[in-house]
Amino acid sequence: MKIKLLTSLAVLLVFSLGLIVFADDHGKSDEMNKLVFPKSYSAKAVSGGGKISGVVKFEGDLPEKKKLEINKDEAVCGAEDKYDESVVVGEGKELKNTIVYLMDISTGKDFDKKAKLEMDQKGCKFTPHVQIVPVGARLTMLNSDKVNHNVHIFSSINKEVNKPQPKVRKKMPLAAVKKAEGPVEVKCDIHGWMKAWIAYVPHPYFAVTNEKGEFTLEDVPAGTYKLGYWHEACGSNIKEPVTVTVAAGGEVKQDFTLKLKK
Amino acid sequence: MFRKVFVLWSILIGFTIFISIQSYTQDAPEVSAKGKEVYEHSCAHCHGIEGRGDGSAAENLLPKPRDFTRGLYKIRSTESGELPTDQDLFDIITDGMPGSSMPGWESQLKADERWEVVSYIKTFYDGFKERETPPREISLEGKIAYSAESAQIGKTLYTDLGCIECHGNVGRGDGTSAPTLTDAWNDRTWPANLAENWNFRGGTDTEDIFKRFIGGIAGSPMPAFEGDSFLHFGLSSEESKRLSEMENKDEMTPEEEEESGKLYEKMDEAVLVALDRAEGTELTPEAQKIYDDAMKVVAEKSWHLANYVKSLSPEKRPETAIGNNSLRSQYTVEELPIIEDEAWNTLEDSYYPLVGQVVIEPRQFNPTIDSVRVKSFYNDTEVAFLFTWHDRTHNIEVEENEDTGTSYEDGIAIQFPVKPPKGPTDEKPYFLWGGKKPVYVWQWKASEQDKITELTVKGVNNVTVQENQGDLNVKGEYKDGEYRLWVKRALTTDDKKDLQLEPGVFVPIAFSAWDGANGDKDIKRVMSSWYSFVLEPVPSSRRFIYPPIVALLSVGFLIGLRGFVQRRNSASDEAETEQ
Repeated sequence: MKIKLLTSLAVLLVFSLGLIVFADDHGKSDEMNKLVFPKSYSAKAVSGGGKISGVVKFEGDLPEKKKLEINKDEAVCGAEDKYDESVVVGEGKELKNTIVYLMDISTGKDFDKKAKLEMDQKGCKFTPHVQIVPVGARLTMLNSDKVNHNVHIFSSINKEVNKPQPKVRKKMPLAAVKKAEGPVEVKCDIHGWMKAWIAYVPHPYFAVTNEKGEFTLEDVPAGTYKLGYWHEACGSNIKEPVTVTVAAGGEVKQDFTLKLKK
Repeated sequence: MFRKVFVLWSILIGFTIFISIQSYTQDAPEVSAKGKEVYEHSCAHCHGIEGRGDGSAAENLLPKPRDFTRGLYKIRSTESGELPTDQDLFDIITDGMPGSSMPGWESQLKADERWEVVSYIKTFYDGFKERETPPREISLEGKIAYSAESAQIGKTLYTDLGCIECHGNVGRGDGTSAPTLTDAWNDRTWPANLAENWNFRGGTDTEDIFKRFIGGIAGSPMPAFEGDSFLHFGLSSEESKRLSEMENKDEMTPEEEEESGKLYEKMDEAVLVALDRAEGTELTPEAQKIYDDAMKVVAEKSWHLANYVKSLSPEKRPETAIGNNSLRSQYTVEELPIIEDEAWNTLEDSYYPLVGQVVIEPRQFNPTIDSVRVKSFYNDTEVAFLFTWHDRTHNIEVEENEDTGTSYEDGIAIQFPVKPPKGPTDEKPYFLWGGKKPVYVWQWKASEQDKITELTVKGVNNVTVQENQGDLNVKGEYKDGEYRLWVKRALTTDDKKDLQLEPGVFVPIAFSAWDGANGDKDIKRVMSSWYSFVLEPVPSSRRFIYPPIVALLSVGFLIGLRGFVQRRNSASDEAETEQ
């Protein structure tokens, strides 16, 4: 009898918790494709930190390489063929433009204040395709083209940015944002095919994979962390982050294999 | 046993509900019960119960109903990136948004109900609750009254600032970037046609235009031209002009490099001040002065631009071509003018508003063609029409596009009954391509611009191309977002299936138009119901003929009458004499 009672209770408990979880998830599916940030972060000097590195690879059939249709300012924009950049891989399917980061770090090093924060518009394409921007820092948009561009950043937590950058304005610094957010999409309304991503981040433990799919997070204080990834076409691992433990001065290898999100 | 389980289960459920309610009230502590009631009754069908712009009617609408959860409001009197004022929201609810499906609610909701809705809508976005200071409003100081000179300066800015990229050479929304625009929700959107300001969502006053330009239209591709977004921010008008001259050269001389370098430094300084301000840093008095001086130039230029934009539309929306405004073809003794002839400029347009065809599938709920305008001349043997209408894109074939969908060919059809009705009570054919009573149609397609096909149509599934073609002279053209179509025909033809025309007889006329880029094809189209036109009878020459004839006849009649009376009188005199 008691067992029955307990079983019924357990079933009901699970059911009720399910209701809560369901209620919480309602309408927030978008957030599954975002980054996770710690509640707070304080910067201090890190000595004897460890290193996390690895390679991100793509698994499964590659989407067809889509050539972009250049229907405007052909002389400048169409000088060379352009392809959709949502999945860029190397010969061994190494996946470029993946963000790999620590989800739950609360103290660690400060941002490299000297690092140049620039996104170029050249040949009517944004470079880089994924840009990490520290909260409180100014990103400078460059226009290396002899055509007008329009920088449109679709933030929703921070203020939406929608600024014309005429051909004569080679550098356009943008106001710093106050809150961590993203990645948010960047578009040029004048050239509809131009798309990129910006992540506004509260701490410096974010890396974007290179052509070889490689990432490195350095000066990580010894400890155990949740390691997350985000990719435009493959989504994120918010629900099942990888746990890594970094020893002082040690190096941890962690590779990822990503599939197209459903 | 079961009671125990039930009690525990109830407690758990209660706990769950408690948690849900708590999280709900945390999100929205100031829910106005009245506002919620009004909202759910009047607004939720389009904007959705949760304000996500996903109500049951939303699917068929474009522009889509606003999603209130992102805090992006198009029509604001506030600076870029700021939320609207309460008054802004109230005004939109009151006046509606022309050119979209948002009606004005002034007659449906009392003012206090509208204010309740304002406060309820604000609960959908936390930013309203979190903001600590009132939003920065756009200053309307230093307004420059309209003058041709001001509009001319504005015209230059229109090009320099890149407005033409989307709005096109003369502002008809036909810029080369127009076909690929999407908004913050990835829905397709079109740049405003600045020549049809009655469709401006936020009003037609110069002040309204100024605010849209300075503050941008949030969530849409229209950027804000305030502060450092403005070309040459921080320079005086003269310095800016000088820099433009240098920038437009292929190569600068060393002296010019130095001169422009100094101007760039000055601009950089002002830009940094603008960024400080945008980030919420308190400005030093010196910095504030730099900002204010720079903004004075921005405001001045923006008023010129607003004056230019204002000048692109007629003073008010043209009157619809009914009653006294009906199309009256003008008689001329001369050869009828060809499409390029300036004689057309002597006539006023007759204006026919068009609406989406929503009677039968596939329907067009989101028309992009506003209207067609018509002028006409006739002489003793022929009649000529000039049809003009705006279309942002020139589509002459079927094109597939992954982002914007398939586009089709543009075109227009002019529809008449085969026979004019005998009188006002005589029934006209069905307005949507006839029925039992057939209609006679001129169908024109953008790919064959100098040809019209004559059709006999007895309903949408009963379209016959007339055997006897070639009665019409046709010339069509597309330029800067406008189609012009010229058609000339004999007043009467030998073909029994054609409409025959004679002066003074009112003839029904109706229109259909297709914007291929908007998915218009076959029955999916924009159209009008029946209007009527007339070949204006010629009073001028006949005025000198009829009255003298009538006078002569009258005199003749009187003379005749007098003679008759005289003869009769003399006859009766004779009779009397005989008696």
